[in-house]
Amino acid sequence: MRMKNWLAAGIAMAAALALAGCGGKGKEESVPEAAENAKDDYIYVAEYESLGGDDYAVGNAMMDGQGTVYFVGVKENKAKLFARKMDGSQEEIPVDLDENTMISVIGKDVEGNLLLGLVTYDQIGGMESKPQNAAIRKISADGTVLQDIDTGKTMIKDDGFYMQGLLQDKDGNYYVCLQNSIYVVKQDGQPYCEIDVGTYIGSMFDVKGEKVLVSYFGEMTYELQEVDLAGKRLKALDTPMTFEYGTYLSGGETADILYTAGTKLYTYNLGDEEPVEILNWVDSDIYSENLRNFQILADGRVVAFSVDWSSEKAKSELAVLTKKDRSEVPEKVVLTYGTTYLPYFAKADVVAFNKQSDKYRIEIKEYGEGDKDYETMVSLWSADMSSGDGPDIIDMVYCPVGLGELVSMGAVEDLNPYLDGDADVNREDYVENAMKLYEADGKLYAVMRCFGIDTMIGKESDVGSGTSWTLDDLMALVDSKESDVELFEYTTKYNALQMMLAINGDKFVDEENGTCSFQDGEFIKILEFANRFPQDITYDQSGPSSMEKIRNGKLLLLKETVTSVQQYQLYESTFGEPINMIGYPTSGESGTMITPNGTTVAMNANSKNKEGVWEFMKFLLDEERQENLQSANAGFPVLKSALEKQFEKDMTKEYYEDVDGTQKEMPKGVWTTGASGEVTVDVYAASKEQVDRIRQMIDTAGGARIDSQILSIIVDEAQSYFDGQKKAEDVTGLIQERVQVYLNEKR
Amino acid sequence: MKRDKDKRKRGRKISSLFLSPSILGVLVFFVLPFFVVIFYSVVDNPISHQFVFLDNFKMVFNNAAFRQAAANTMKFSAIAVPLAVVLSLGLAMLLDSKMPFKSQFRTFFLTPMMVPIASIVLIWQVLFHYNGMVNDITSLFGMGKIDWLKSDHAQIVIIVLFLWKNLGYNMILFMAALSSIPKDILEVAILESAKPWQIFWFIKIRYLSSTLLFVTIMSLINSFKVFREIYLLTDDYPYPTVYMMQHFMNNTFGKLDYQRLSAAAIMMSLVMVVIIGILFLAENYFGRDVEG
Repeated sequence: MRMKNWLAAGIAMAAALALAGCGGKGKEESVPEAAENAKDDYIYVAEYESLGGDDYAVGNAMMDGQGTVYFVGVKENKAKLFARKMDGSQEEIPVDLDENTMISVIGKDVEGNLLLGLVTYDQIGGMESKPQNAAIRKISADGTVLQDIDTGKTMIKDDGFYMQGLLQDKDGNYYVCLQNSIYVVKQDGQPYCEIDVGTYIGSMFDVKGEKVLVSYFGEMTYELQEVDLAGKRLKALDTPMTFEYGTYLSGGETADILYTAGTKLYTYNLGDEEPVEILNWVDSDIYSENLRNFQILADGRVVAFSVDWSSEKAKSELAVLTKKDRSEVPEKVVLTYGTTYLPYFAKADVVAFNKQSDKYRIEIKEYGEGDKDYETMVSLWSADMSSGDGPDIIDMVYCPVGLGELVSMGAVEDLNPYLDGDADVNREDYVENAMKLYEADGKLYAVMRCFGIDTMIGKESDVGSGTSWTLDDLMALVDSKESDVELFEYTTKYNALQMMLAINGDKFVDEENGTCSFQDGEFIKILEFANRFPQDITYDQSGPSSMEKIRNGKLLLLKETVTSVQQYQLYESTFGEPINMIGYPTSGESGTMITPNGTTVAMNANSKNKEGVWEFMKFLLDEERQENLQSANAGFPVLKSALEKQFEKDMTKEYYEDVDGTQKEMPKGVWTTGASGEVTVDVYAASKEQVDRIRQMIDTAGGARIDSQILSIIVDEAQSYFDGQKKAEDVTGLIQERVQVYLNEKR
Repeated sequence: MKRDKDKRKRGRKISSLFLSPSILGVLVFFVLPFFVVIFYSVVDNPISHQFVFLDNFKMVFNNAAFRQAAANTMKFSAIAVPLAVVLSLGLAMLLDSKMPFKSQFRTFFLTPMMVPIASIVLIWQVLFHYNGMVNDITSLFGMGKIDWLKSDHAQIVIIVLFLWKNLGYNMILFMAALSSIPKDILEVAILESAKPWQIFWFIKIRYLSSTLLFVTIMSLINSFKVFREIYLLTDDYPYPTVYMMQHFMNNTFGKLDYQRLSAAAIMMSLVMVVIIGILFLAENYFGRDVEG
């Protein structure tokens, strides 16, 4: 009897314990982190140098593998060729260029001679210069011309023509890489063939002078293919590795291929199963998105050439990376940046911070690396957090769990004491609405560098000139139009429901008191509105473009995230008449929403380096960083003074002198739009009215978002109404019951 | 004497050696997590580990969703467990008697055990969906459609599912126990003109008491595990009547709210220990004269 009792008690306890420990996934996976590299005994330390100095703009550079960097410097519309040696000396290589001729690309042959791709324009420096002639010139290292091949206009297909790669194989054939094709010229200068790749080519390079490879985005994956000269086509490579998106170059003497993908540099030999990882660019404070060329030298050093196109003068930089023992490098406090995916803007911010900080360096911990599924990322992340091993800095846009979960877990630090206690930062200097986006219960949990505005855009003649509208206004607009007029393009019932709830969801849920009210007429109206849209959509490739439909009055509204004044101007041009970014229908003051559009981070409450994390946050909010966002369309800076400076810049007219000497206004930006980029819109300086409208949108924008779980319940139940199985009243009753359970549970 | 002592000592060492992997496993996978759960239940969150004593328990106890889940789970177990025990005992008695097609019936009742859970859920969805077979049949009799899984009828569906899944296993346990009752005692009872109900109540039930306890505990455990089927049928926030304790725990785990999850798990464990304790007392009382 006693034995059985113990047995039964054991079973009961086991069951109780099993239930107590529910939910464990038990997957044994780990997060590859930069910190792993910290355990390595070496690091690549970079020394930087501005290529071309302050005088020359540099866009093109080529490395010969011995450490000499050949680059084209342009000053006052004149191009010059330079050679920069590893000892730091620099000399000009004389190149005799006709007027209006530019060096489009630099290449080399197997003997080490230089190849120049030359393009002659009808004018230089104007906004409307057109290519007239293309040529290939082969010169020796001292500038002696060895061969000149004039290809005339045969390669030039349109005004946007340029050469992006040039090389010569061991048989003397010249390969010119154009945007979408490879143009081959025989040694005697006769055109041989043009191989159309059908899509934009990433790069063209040779493998030890034997093969010429081309990298590009294939239909599904990134591709590397070999040029088959006899077949005048590309052919598949006989190699077991699948290539990922990256920048692929010749490996020179070191390997067949040298490439960078994500944040890492690899070498690869054809036929191998795996590449060899050389370094992580982030560890060496190099922003890999800007890399144009890189090479491993015979002595193991790595040379990297990058151009920062987002800076005012397209700042070019040469970095020489030397492998050093970690003990030789001054120690810095390591902060970890946790994310499921590292977006380009966060990568740029981390690299810039590391470069300028003497005390801290941030290393990346990417939870999504290796194509992990969401469940795995969440369990790895929560295991790290609860064991005190979580990242110091939490990326809020790419965090596997939401702010609510982070707060309930006690994982994020309230930033208010830091903000209030730091004399260098003044809360009033920042856009209030943007700072409120990550506030909960009076605590501030995250800061963002820049933001965008989610809104609906329509013609002022349709949506009026007000700052908000209701669902009834929207319905009235739809009813006033012909039946073939679309409200939104490619919108399903689900999209419409989600869209309406995004801004209005909080009207039906009282989080504070834990109650909901989905059974009133307002919610039923939303269901009825969403039910007007189709269940599924088919993309019509042959039909008119969005732009045509808008201009013909067949499409009324666009849903967009506006991140610049220029974008506003673009839509005005698209609609062809005054527009109003009126926002989503709402009974509130504004239907526009603030959304993060740049690095957005929270501080781990358990971080041992909170001061360091705050330093990084301050760096993001700093005037210098705020005034230099990655591009004009990167978003609105959260610092009010930077935002105003940006507005000033948007309104300032810039001029250029055309061939006749006439002053003409220069476009601020050139946008391509339409189904296949067939329409080009030049955007000029904005008017005060346009900027005022953006300013007003920012001032009134909210941050209301419906809880994703509530949305999921609504969508689940609404389906039976959309399918015609249940009445709207029955569906709202079920939503009410289920959401109430959820709200009760949250309290 | 000394040799015997040495032998026993060596025997103990060897058995300890063989037992150590199991003991280690129990310690690592059961005892240690239990203490971790206790630790989490008395701290404010898994990050800062501030001691809050019973605050999490108070918070969970005052939570409307927890109370609803507890009430639903208790109601479900209170109905489903006795039904599972009584019906399976009845079936075992039936199959123990001289009836035709015994083997076929046994197989029939055991079949649900072999069906994968995903298939069971699929079958139940086909049957009890708003446009499912059950509503098709009831509509033939002029009845209106019932949203079985999203109405107050939902618990009935789950109870039927639970019984369908568990009766066969319980029945086999009872059949084994019935066959082990000494035949001579039953024959003596018949010779003594005992009535069938007297044989059932005073002999069979006494001999079945330990099996009854085991079947009840197993059914109780399975009644808590019915969450799996409910979850697959109705998602993590179902209609309120089928929102069970495991929903509460699973959802709080999903929100990384370990402190509330741990408090709820401990409260649930305590309730289970009390229930199982009562079952032990009952088993001791009824079975004391038939076991050694």
